[in-house]
Amino acid sequence: MPAWLALLYVWPIGMLVAGSLQAGGLGNYLAVGQRVDFLRLLFNSLWISGWTVVLGALVNSLAGYALARLQFPGRAVLLGLVLICMVIPFEAVAAPLFYSVSRLGLRDTLGVQILPFVANGVSIYLFYTFYLEFPRELEEAACLEGAGPWQIYGRLVLPNSGPVLATHSVITLLSSWGAYLWPLLVTAGPQARPLPLALANFMTTPPLHWGQIFAFGVLMVVPVLLGFGFLQRYFQPGSLTSGIK
Amino acid sequence: MVSPAVLGLLLFVLAPFALSFLISFTDLSLGSPHPMHWVGTLQYERLFHDPALARALANNLRFALVVVPLQTALALALAVLLHRPGWRLAGLYRAIFFAPVVFPMSLVAVIWRYLYAPGLQGPANRLLSWLSLGHWQARDFLHDPEWALGALMALSVWQGVGLQMVILLGGLQQIPSDLYEAAALDGAGPLQRFRRVTLPMLRNTLIFTALMTSILAFRVFDQVQILTHGGPAGATSTLMFELVRSAFERLQMGRACALTVLFVLIVLLLTGLQRLALRQRAL
Amino acid sequence: MGLKLTFLPEGSYNSQVQAAALAGQLPDILEFDGPLLYRYVWQGCLRPLGRLLNDSARTNLLPSLERQGTFRGRLYSVGVFDSGLALYGRKSLLESVGARLPSRPEEAWTIAQFERILKDLARADEDGQVLDLKLNYQGEWLTYAFSPVLVSAGADLRHLDRPEAARALTLLQEWSEHGLIDPNLDDAAFVEGRVALSWVGHWEYPRYAERWGGDLCLIPLPNFGIGSRSGQGSWNWAITSRCGSPRRAAEFLNFLLEDAQVLEMTAGNGAVPGTLSAIAKSPLYQKGGPLRLFSQQLLEGWCAPRPATPAYPFVTSVFQQAVRDIVHGAPVKKVLQSAAQDIRQDELDNEDYR
Repeated sequence: MPAWLALLYVWPIGMLVAGSLQAGGLGNYLAVGQRVDFLRLLFNSLWISGWTVVLGALVNSLAGYALARLQFPGRAVLLGLVLICMVIPFEAVAAPLFYSVSRLGLRDTLGVQILPFVANGVSIYLFYTFYLEFPRELEEAACLEGAGPWQIYGRLVLPNSGPVLATHSVITLLSSWGAYLWPLLVTAGPQARPLPLALANFMTTPPLHWGQIFAFGVLMVVPVLLGFGFLQRYFQPGSLTSGIK
Repeated sequence: MVSPAVLGLLLFVLAPFALSFLISFTDLSLGSPHPMHWVGTLQYERLFHDPALARALANNLRFALVVVPLQTALALALAVLLHRPGWRLAGLYRAIFFAPVVFPMSLVAVIWRYLYAPGLQGPANRLLSWLSLGHWQARDFLHDPEWALGALMALSVWQGVGLQMVILLGGLQQIPSDLYEAAALDGAGPLQRFRRVTLPMLRNTLIFTALMTSILAFRVFDQVQILTHGGPAGATSTLMFELVRSAFERLQMGRACALTVLFVLIVLLLTGLQRLALRQRAL
Repeated sequence: MGLKLTFLPEGSYNSQVQAAALAGQLPDILEFDGPLLYRYVWQGCLRPLGRLLNDSARTNLLPSLERQGTFRGRLYSVGVFDSGLALYGRKSLLESVGARLPSRPEEAWTIAQFERILKDLARADEDGQVLDLKLNYQGEWLTYAFSPVLVSAGADLRHLDRPEAARALTLLQEWSEHGLIDPNLDDAAFVEGRVALSWVGHWEYPRYAERWGGDLCLIPLPNFGIGSRSGQGSWNWAITSRCGSPRRAAEFLNFLLEDAQVLEMTAGNGAVPGTLSAIAKSPLYQKGGPLRLFSQQLLEGWCAPRPATPAYPFVTSVFQQAVRDIVHGAPVKKVLQSAAQDIRQDELDNEDYR
């Protein structure tokens, strides 16, 4: 039975690859390269996703750790705030955010596609629940040796956060790599445009040529598939459930 | 330690949402030279009487009612089928079902627009015609009021099932194997073991993934924007599509912000339901 | 010259301009799609050209462009080129069903003749799909291509609830329901010979001419009642109100409107040159040129400009939705009535865009 389902699953992907080679063959790929600055678009997408994942890992794990371990005034309020932010999806704030970003004149940069997505309620919550179950003994030992919270976080906690970092990275990478609505609103030209939007644009700009559109699609997923293939040895399905409570 | 995150959340989530809330009580129109007016709850009253919005919400609800159970069941079935420690092909299958997850929705939409091409030359029509031994009548899936929403559901499930499957597989791996052994000693068959061990142990993970999918069902936008523009005749319009169109095509910020508030209320309601479902077990 | 030029891209350009305006970041000179002019003027983004533009440049401008650039009595923008719609046909196929081949707008087919020809063509066609309406294009195309149908029938975008509008768009729906229209997902219906007629603008000429050569003919859009009407209008240039040196900006516009510039630009994009003198020099668009139909439509007023209202972004969004719904089978009268209501409500909400 998995074989039949897998066939059904592979079918559209097969269509994509076969389509990219019909009527023009490999020439379709060359044509894409001539019509758009593919490397620029790829760089934009990688840059945006990369920084969103890395900065997010840092910022959200810090917050998660502090919420789980440190006692400070307003901790309960902050936790409530994180829970509220978890359920406000980005789309809900896109309109006012667009309004303010425009007022500030920050459109059409790579940064404006990164910063709003760094601090993330869901990620903070994942880190928070992970650190709640983190063995205290190690930290206490470090504490006795005179290490402060920052040192403990940097030397002990972060290096041992593998599974939850993987969860964070996968979730953030997927949403950042596929982002469509926000780039549609804030990018004016190819200099800051990411791949998914460029594809949607490519698909509606005559001359429409299915072979080239599909070639664009293949070029767009190959880096991610390679990335995931490479990460698979580090990324176990089990790690995705860490933090789900 | 928390300050960068708090700053980010305040700046990019809470402040814009508060701004939305305020704007929803005005008649702000993007770029208008007229001064903005407070209009009280006018935007909400209009939404309440707007048949287009009712249609969009009904579509979201239909989407959730079909996609959530279907995708969850499919993901669970796949996870159980693929959870065989030591099976060499499991990795390959997992990769196959996971692959669409890394496809951005804009690419999924491109592929499926081609698959759904009208007439018997369209790949989906050809497949169905072959499966039905020629009894299938070719359709224009994306422009047929009866099929368009279903067509969007199908591609969404195709894209979304992989992630849910992987999360459930993770949950399965955490079930201690002695529970199964104990059940087997009690004489439980595979089906009973599934019902008595797997389902209860996966309960929280299942609720989490179902919640995630239902929130996504109320956020559906990219595929609508790229493939159908809410058509034909509102058959695939969604809350998010209405919102974005109001704000950025029709420049009605007041209305769009009222839709934003409505949207957050719905998501809060769903999350509340999940909390309730989780608490029931504790009782 | 020290001027800041920004080219705003296709797609979401109106949001982009809105955003730039909000940020006070409008460039000195703005290039944008013609029908958005009236909104930008209403918002106070643009300055009237007044005496900044050379008299000679102004009198040389195509009347259609002058009209597009004028709002509430003042000229704000100039275009270097204009556009037009027609039916591209395959002579051999049309002659095989005995169709008359009109080449001037006044000779356009009546609706009865057009439908007769479609049916005859469909009978001889393998799949019965004989007309390409470029339904694969998105967005503004729908308004550009099908609002002229309303005008030709005696209605317009601001009077969608008139019975003439419903009658005209019902015809469109019937062609679709009778399977006469190729969905044209691959944008190749006409070049692959799947259809005999393609309803599209001047920009397809190079591709179509290369494919069909002498078999290609250019036919005015059918007459839905008061005469054939083509779409018109295109990207145009205006000086923004925050421009510090309007004189130099105007010099740039005057320069753009010189014959050499106009001809070079239109040789590149294939559009109708925006000045009278450039048309006379254009081998494609001068009298007797193969694309004379397009320039004639613009010069003699066989066109339906999109309405000069600040509500345009709203109006076009509503109309695009209506056309999509109607082509795919929604009840025409109901759709148009609710569209007209939405447009009226928007006007009321904005104090009639005073």
